[in-house]
Amino acid sequence: MLDEVAVPSAVSAESIKIMGESIGISPLGDDVARELAEDITYRLKNIVQDGKKFTHHGKRKRFTCEDFDWALKSKNIEPIYGVVSSEFIPWRLTSGGGRDLHFLEDRELEVSDIVTQQLPKLPPAAAVKCHWLAIEGVQPAIPENPAPMSKNLQKQEAVDPASKLAAAQADTRNTRNIHGRGLKSVETVRVKQLATHELSAEQQLYYKEITEACVGSDEPKRGEALHSLAFDPGLHQMVARLCTFIAEGVRVNVVQRNLALLIYLMRMTKALLDNNTLYLEKYLHELTPSVLTCIVSRQLCLKPDMDNHWALRDFAARLMSQICRHYNTTTNGLQTRISRVFCKCLNVDKTPLATVYGAVAGLCELGPEVIKALVVPKLRVLSNKIEQCIESPSAYEKNAAVHIKGMLVKSVPPVLKMNRNPPDLLTDYKNDFGFLGPLLQASVIKLRQTPGVGGVVVSAPALAPTLRPLSTPTPTRILHQSVGGVGGRALVVGSGGQVTTTGGVGVAPSPGQKLIIMTSRTPGVQQGLDSPQLVSAQLPLGEGSGATILSPTSTAAGAALPPGAKYVLVKTEPTDDEYGM
Amino acid sequence: MDDSDSPTYASLAPANPTMVNDLASVDLPSLSNIPDVNSNGHLPSAVQSPLSGQDVSSPQTPASLDMKSDGYSDMDKSTMIAVIQFLKRGNLKSTEEILRKECGFFEPVDVTDTSGALGEEGEVLAAYKSDGNPAEYQDAFKALSAFVEKSLDAYKYEVAAVLYPVLIHMYLELIYNGHRGEAVELLQNCSSSIEAHHADDLRSISLVTSRAQMAGQPLLNTLLSAQYTCRMSRDSLAHLKRFLADRSAGPVPRIIQDRLNIDLVDGQPRTKAQVLAVQGAITGEAPRSANKTKIFYGLLKEPELQTVINEEEEAEDDLDKPKKKKSKKDALQKNKKNDPNAPPANRIPLPELRDQDKQERARIYRDSMKRVTLSRDALPSICFYSFVNASNTVDISDDSSILAFGSAESILSVHSITPAKLKAMKPAEQLSDIDKDSEDVLVRMLDDRSGETQRNLMGHSGPVTAVSVSPDKALLASSGQDGTVRIWSLQTWTCVVVLRGHIYPVWSVRFSPHGYYLVTGGHDRTARLWTTDQHLPLRIFAGHYSDVDVVEFHPNSNYVASGSSDRSVRLWDCSNGACVRIFTGHKGTVSAVNFSPCGRYLASGSCDARILVWDLGGHGNALAALSSHSDTIHTLAFSREGTILASGSMDCTVKIWDFAKVTEEGRDEDVNATTSPLEDKSLLLSTFPTKQTPVLSLHFTRRNVLLASGPFNG
Repeated sequence: MLDEVAVPSAVSAESIKIMGESIGISPLGDDVARELAEDITYRLKNIVQDGKKFTHHGKRKRFTCEDFDWALKSKNIEPIYGVVSSEFIPWRLTSGGGRDLHFLEDRELEVSDIVTQQLPKLPPAAAVKCHWLAIEGVQPAIPENPAPMSKNLQKQEAVDPASKLAAAQADTRNTRNIHGRGLKSVETVRVKQLATHELSAEQQLYYKEITEACVGSDEPKRGEALHSLAFDPGLHQMVARLCTFIAEGVRVNVVQRNLALLIYLMRMTKALLDNNTLYLEKYLHELTPSVLTCIVSRQLCLKPDMDNHWALRDFAARLMSQICRHYNTTTNGLQTRISRVFCKCLNVDKTPLATVYGAVAGLCELGPEVIKALVVPKLRVLSNKIEQCIESPSAYEKNAAVHIKGMLVKSVPPVLKMNRNPPDLLTDYKNDFGFLGPLLQASVIKLRQTPGVGGVVVSAPALAPTLRPLSTPTPTRILHQSVGGVGGRALVVGSGGQVTTTGGVGVAPSPGQKLIIMTSRTPGVQQGLDSPQLVSAQLPLGEGSGATILSPTSTAAGAALPPGAKYVLVKTEPTDDEYGM
Repeated sequence: MDDSDSPTYASLAPANPTMVNDLASVDLPSLSNIPDVNSNGHLPSAVQSPLSGQDVSSPQTPASLDMKSDGYSDMDKSTMIAVIQFLKRGNLKSTEEILRKECGFFEPVDVTDTSGALGEEGEVLAAYKSDGNPAEYQDAFKALSAFVEKSLDAYKYEVAAVLYPVLIHMYLELIYNGHRGEAVELLQNCSSSIEAHHADDLRSISLVTSRAQMAGQPLLNTLLSAQYTCRMSRDSLAHLKRFLADRSAGPVPRIIQDRLNIDLVDGQPRTKAQVLAVQGAITGEAPRSANKTKIFYGLLKEPELQTVINEEEEAEDDLDKPKKKKSKKDALQKNKKNDPNAPPANRIPLPELRDQDKQERARIYRDSMKRVTLSRDALPSICFYSFVNASNTVDISDDSSILAFGSAESILSVHSITPAKLKAMKPAEQLSDIDKDSEDVLVRMLDDRSGETQRNLMGHSGPVTAVSVSPDKALLASSGQDGTVRIWSLQTWTCVVVLRGHIYPVWSVRFSPHGYYLVTGGHDRTARLWTTDQHLPLRIFAGHYSDVDVVEFHPNSNYVASGSSDRSVRLWDCSNGACVRIFTGHKGTVSAVNFSPCGRYLASGSCDARILVWDLGGHGNALAALSSHSDTIHTLAFSREGTILASGSMDCTVKIWDFAKVTEEGRDEDVNATTSPLEDKSLLLSTFPTKQTPVLSLHFTRRNVLLASGPFNG
């Protein structure tokens, strides 16, 4: 019951000493500091508990600085002015003199600057909108209402199809009870249909309009249709049909080499993937082969030396990484299987160059870990092939080689930067990577010279998830992202005190570095002052690439990722091709 | 009706406003420090007494609350001393002087404790001084919990109720005597045997780790000033006593003796469900003695409307003597229907019905003819008003034409949700031109050109916590975190009065269904009754051990229900200010209360996501416990005929409950201590989720359309 107390949040005596120093009281005796720390912890926790009342009456779930201020006011203490600000307060860490120090960056503001500044925008005025939540007990399916079937429910159904059956049985049992007692209210028990086979007339019309618009020639109309697919709730009944449409469309258009239509179909797929209310796992058997086809197919257009089918491959590769991110589980092993397909395509002697390009693009999108494990070992072979082709008289081959080269030079150096220790000698690179060696070496050196940029480039293609507000992901998700090398924003502070902002955990660790992963989450006030939460992680040095994330809330997830663990998904060699391509 | 015995507004006013006001501003932590607490342990009498000084036992006679100066002579002297001591300590000399003068109390009072407030607290705390061996506490507690565990199932659950108070008092005793290590260890090892709903309190108590911190902790003050009440059957108590006799030396018997109030009940020991159903409040369950008063839960007679409708013109002629007419009607109605549970019509003075009100009532009547009958099979339609850009609190006027909401930015916003515009009154010079006797004077005095669909009212200096529109739509009351209650005119669109009295944030405000009265509740642990024509409160309902979070008027305006952070719901009598019911059973802050339209039932929702239904005809036991929500319930609404209960919550759903079934099953058997509340999944009729919009307010229109509202958090 008091589990939370097991990890008490408290102000430490060291902190008190440092605070004392900062206002010129030094030295502070150990006993004094301890006594003060204890008392301050007690008082802070009390104030936070009081502040909870203000959160409750503000009808909010998140504890804010204002709540703390009001709690102070209600105790007749002057509140601290000027700390009420954005929801994300970046803590910084610096170390020196043998101790670590967490601090808030507190910039000095020039009064004259503030005066001359433009006035901040007025907050938008409050407004009222109304809609029908229910009409005679039935909830109408309008955009204002939530989707009839929530994503979680769809997910549960996908994972455990029997759940619906059980629920239905429970329902019928209820009905029987009611019958048994002879109550007359039988009509209100609505047994859900086990499967919805038929679309209503409106839905059929919608399906027709949407599919026509998506593959038609009217670009604005297509935009609207894609927007509808990406944002409308309640599409889950239609998803099966839409997925079949996409799969069939890809099948036909690959044969016909109709690049434009393939692009349209991929955009449709993207819209469906972007729709927050849909859980697509049940339909991946149709979507993944289609997307894979668009990445690695030998020929996607009529004039492969002229048309820009490379863009389609890139786009589809991004889609694939999105699918892997959302739907990869240990049971379906999606990412493993996808990586396997790509690896098979990397066999340069047999496969056409366009396919090789697709495979490289697909692997590079899957994140630095995959690049490190699957692309880097093949670099030498790829290099040789590129060297051959770039001199080739065929414009097509030359073009392909340039594209592959471009992709590799863009994606690989950040990974190399992480995994190779300086100095970056030209000869080493030449030995290891052949033709591409000098290019890679140059960009690695460039990366090393510009700290901060490196991290961003590492995950630039896969940065999408970091664009989400930091507060939303659950602890497990953060971990999951860290695996892919796209963790939350992390601040890395070198021992020299140089502050580097990176986009991921996967930055080359040098001795003495510490990583702080900040997650601001709903305050657990019962734990006292633990928000925002600081989780510190020490990167294992050298070979180990996994990061240990120590967090009281996600220890289970942390344990799944032991320090030094290699990328789990790529241990097996590619054997067979499940996708029949 | 004789004039002499009918109460007047003046007689309701506190005779000594200074007195009331000064006591109102009693420092919050000190409220519970006053050592003199009534024997039933729920009324800090120093605050209560000025209002309940009159004879409480005869509610049949109209309340005359005149406070004569000799009214204090029979008052507890020690209470007086305590008050004066308090004033002396606070150096409030003039107040003390006035108080002495008012009550003729000139005996010298010496402030013995020189150390001020701490000294007195120290006195209370000193009871914790003991020279017991700190090591034996844990063993003693473990023995007690082993004893509970081994008890027969019949006694087990009643006896288990003592575990929690014994544990915290043991902990505090250890802390007081400086055995911090043992105390922390005790709490860590033994807290697993305590019911989960005490976790919050245990956590805040566990923050206290030294003697110095013991003073001033609000929860601790409560635990010290009020005895924790455990209700027990005779058999269970005998069983417990046998155990205590065996180990008369240890700390357990001493704590049970000193700190617990064991409420002895004849009859069978209760089952686990029954015991759990009433636990949860900070001070255990309500003692049965607190819930004995009879409650007049019936509705007041409606004035004869048919005549008003038919003889509208006649009414115009009789404008000058409406009183006579009304009494005639009273007589008429007495013959027609007489609710045996209704309070006498003049129990508290209610405003005379104006013509305007009569017309309004006629409209209500006409609407009720057209209303949809809701039931299990006919669920309501719900119209949802969502706010963008934040709002804290919403209220919809009774006739569903005005929607008012308050925001965290201190702004009140009033919207018209019918095509009618919100008009302002004409300026004074134009008003004087209007013929006051004309039929449509109310319409004429409004300026047509000023019609708007939305108006903002600004004046609060902190987030607005609650709003309430008066039944006649002329006034709007709002409460704010700045500690003020403001009344706004919806005709001039200005603030007409600021009610100060609550010194801490005010959490809730409600207008009476008859208008004129309003009730507020706040962080200072009191609920207060105000009228629209005075700036001082008529009644201060003191007794809650923590913030009063919500208040609501009974449909007959004679009672007020309040829900508090001490996890109890109390029912107060407006005529004498007494607390007539304490309902315990919630396991979290009570965040919503509402009365059924018939007046007999009270529904309350709390942060533990449960709704409890109480029968005012019974003695404080829950009739039903409705649980299906997953977060704080912020609002409850009954359909106009009382067959459907709707609840709205932070989990972004509106749920519809079958209230007809609750009452139907409740009436079969008289609810008493031996039944446990009804919990049935089939009571939930439907759930309507919103898109990330917590539901803050629910309101049934007169024709039974449900209006819900909340801020969209997209």
